[in-house]
Amino acid sequence: MTTERTGRLAGTRLALREVRRGRARFGLLTGAVGLLAFLILFQQTILTSLVTQFVGAIRNQSAPVLVYGADARRNIEGSRVSDDTITTIRRVPGVARAEHIGEGTFTVTTHGTLHDAVLFGYEIGGLGAPTTLTSGRLPTRDGEAVASDLDRNDGFDIGDRIRVEPGGPEITVVGLARDLRFSVAPTLFLSYDTYSRARLAANPDATEVIPSLGAVTPEAGVSPGEIARRITDSIEGTEALDRGRAASESPGVSAVQQSLGIVLLLAYIVVTLVTGFFFMILTVQKAESLTLLRAVGAPGGYLVRALLAQVVTVVAGGVLVGVVLLTMTARAMQGGVAITVEPRRVLITAAVVLALSTLASITAARRVLRIEPVRATTGAGVEYS
Amino acid sequence: MLIALRELRRRPRRFAMATGALTLLTVLLLLLGGLLDGLYLGSTGAIRSQDADVFVYTREARSSFLRSRITPEVRDRVEHVDGVADSGGVGLTLLGARALGSAKIADVAVLGYERANSRVPSPPGPGEAWADQRLRADGVKVGRRIEVGPARTPLMVKGYVSDTSFLLQGALWVEPATWRALQRENRPDAAVADGVFQVLTVKALGGIEAKELADRIDTATAGATKSLTRSEAVLSLPGTRQQNSTFQGIIYVTFFVTALVIALFFALLTLERAGLYGVLKAVGASSRHLAAGLVTQAVAVAAIGSAAGAALTAALARGIPAEVPLQFTTGRSASVAVGIVAAAVLGAAVSFHRLLRIDPASAIGGAA
Repeated sequence: MTTERTGRLAGTRLALREVRRGRARFGLLTGAVGLLAFLILFQQTILTSLVTQFVGAIRNQSAPVLVYGADARRNIEGSRVSDDTITTIRRVPGVARAEHIGEGTFTVTTHGTLHDAVLFGYEIGGLGAPTTLTSGRLPTRDGEAVASDLDRNDGFDIGDRIRVEPGGPEITVVGLARDLRFSVAPTLFLSYDTYSRARLAANPDATEVIPSLGAVTPEAGVSPGEIARRITDSIEGTEALDRGRAASESPGVSAVQQSLGIVLLLAYIVVTLVTGFFFMILTVQKAESLTLLRAVGAPGGYLVRALLAQVVTVVAGGVLVGVVLLTMTARAMQGGVAITVEPRRVLITAAVVLALSTLASITAARRVLRIEPVRATTGAGVEYS
Repeated sequence: MLIALRELRRRPRRFAMATGALTLLTVLLLLLGGLLDGLYLGSTGAIRSQDADVFVYTREARSSFLRSRITPEVRDRVEHVDGVADSGGVGLTLLGARALGSAKIADVAVLGYERANSRVPSPPGPGEAWADQRLRADGVKVGRRIEVGPARTPLMVKGYVSDTSFLLQGALWVEPATWRALQRENRPDAAVADGVFQVLTVKALGGIEAKELADRIDTATAGATKSLTRSEAVLSLPGTRQQNSTFQGIIYVTFFVTALVIALFFALLTLERAGLYGVLKAVGASSRHLAAGLVTQAVAVAAIGSAAGAALTAALARGIPAEVPLQFTTGRSASVAVGIVAAAVLGAAVSFHRLLRIDPASAIGGAA
């Protein structure tokens, strides 16, 4: 091992020894970084989960293009597209196939308990079927459904019988699919006829059931975006979107993304400030020791490396605390917005927090490098301000 | 204390970083609070405006306005419950609307209602509506017509009301027959028969607790209904409870971080000025006096930081897209300012221990 490498290791060992001996102060900072890391991870996770659970059903169904009623402003709950309109859609050049989809939120009973559930009704074998099947099969007849796999433990597992209340049809779950929730509620994909019966049972005064959306697939050589544009331009009162846009431009999704984005940015700024403050304090506190080390020949780089080793230790510890808090929160939030701890996101967040913390410790590092060894004979060599 | 303030005036740069950090934290807290209030107020106005103690839904509706259907028979049973002073039916339809001459579509919540309340006068005539102020931004004007839903049902705007929106959609308040006609024309699959409303709002006789009345109503209807108190009805709106708890949690964590930032800053300051404190103690200043100076500086830094943060938030808010539901209330701004100051005082108090340990005698020999 070269002398240089030995020196580097000695510096790191010294830094870590200091951390062990100053558990209280380093523990406090690690806790603070941990809380901020938790805040950042929690918001990122909840944002991703919220968006997936808001619009997963739109993203993961088979129709490349969805047609809304223009008045609905891309809100499925408010959209109505009549069967006459769907017939007109079929005549638009480039449309290979156009069918209807119905959507609604209902009260259902499963295992003797009432739940909210979103029902998507589509033509069996046609457009609008779930595309992320993880077990079982797609429905092949009325009264069968695919459910979101997140809800399997709440009475929406394969074989479970679900009844629409009050007095609506009975539905048997025959398959489960990933990321299939809509509006953060258990979601079932079933035949349009079953959906219609559910609608009429929920409201006996209803005079007819109007589909919520048109589902369209373009001919070969025509892109979904192009066919959506043609439909919107040629049929008054409609707005067609390709599947990706229908999901990302769903009301509430962009508002949630923007809101949490602002909060995330500020959280990153705060973690930078907190880490910078702490290591500046530490450097001032250790002024005499650092000056002495310089006086006996420790190079500036040695001391800076020791400082950085402590930054890495604190950030790593803080991220670990944040992950533990996130895991505990994930368990506590089961049944609501499900959140998961994703290793990739944790690593990216840790890298960003580490980079920002290293940046923040530059001020302290500069102070360390400006230490005058001769001051060991006259007084402290490190000043603040 | 005067020395502390004098130091602030003479060496502002020393306190700049802490003030900057507190400014940013104030912005964070105000934005979080503004989002929470915007979401809450914008979603629950229609329910909060009701002059009612109990809200009655059908049991199967699971407190959903849109899925509930109170028939005249159920209503009759409710009205005969001991303790019910008065009841009113409310029906709701969510649609798009266009102000005449405007291409812009506004999301509206059309509410058919029977009883006036603190914010909405008695029902207007057939074909007329009271419009929530929120709809002004969409071109809705008093005395002008708007067209509602795909069937373009016309409504004449009779006047404005405020803070009555439902799930961030501006409300249009109409008399029941107008609401039913609008339902039939635009939402035939949600149309209800004459006499049917989605929710009953019930006023209790004096001396009866709302919760007790709610239980009596559900018993009298043999479980056909689920009755909620006013606060329960507000929290039953989709997402309200979850938003509240999530945002409150983030806000509390942010206050803790604020205290921590101040604690770290004043720990640094105390360290650096240890010799000065030693000298002051040597000439007779008490530890209490010095601690008061520290707290004074913490309060001053917090006050300046929160004022700057409030100004920065106001400027930032102009650049935030309109679809982000931000609403700044006086109460929230005041509580954030008080919270920041309180957190700063707590943070500064962490340095008291070190202050107490400073030995005046060592001021003569070097750092304490």
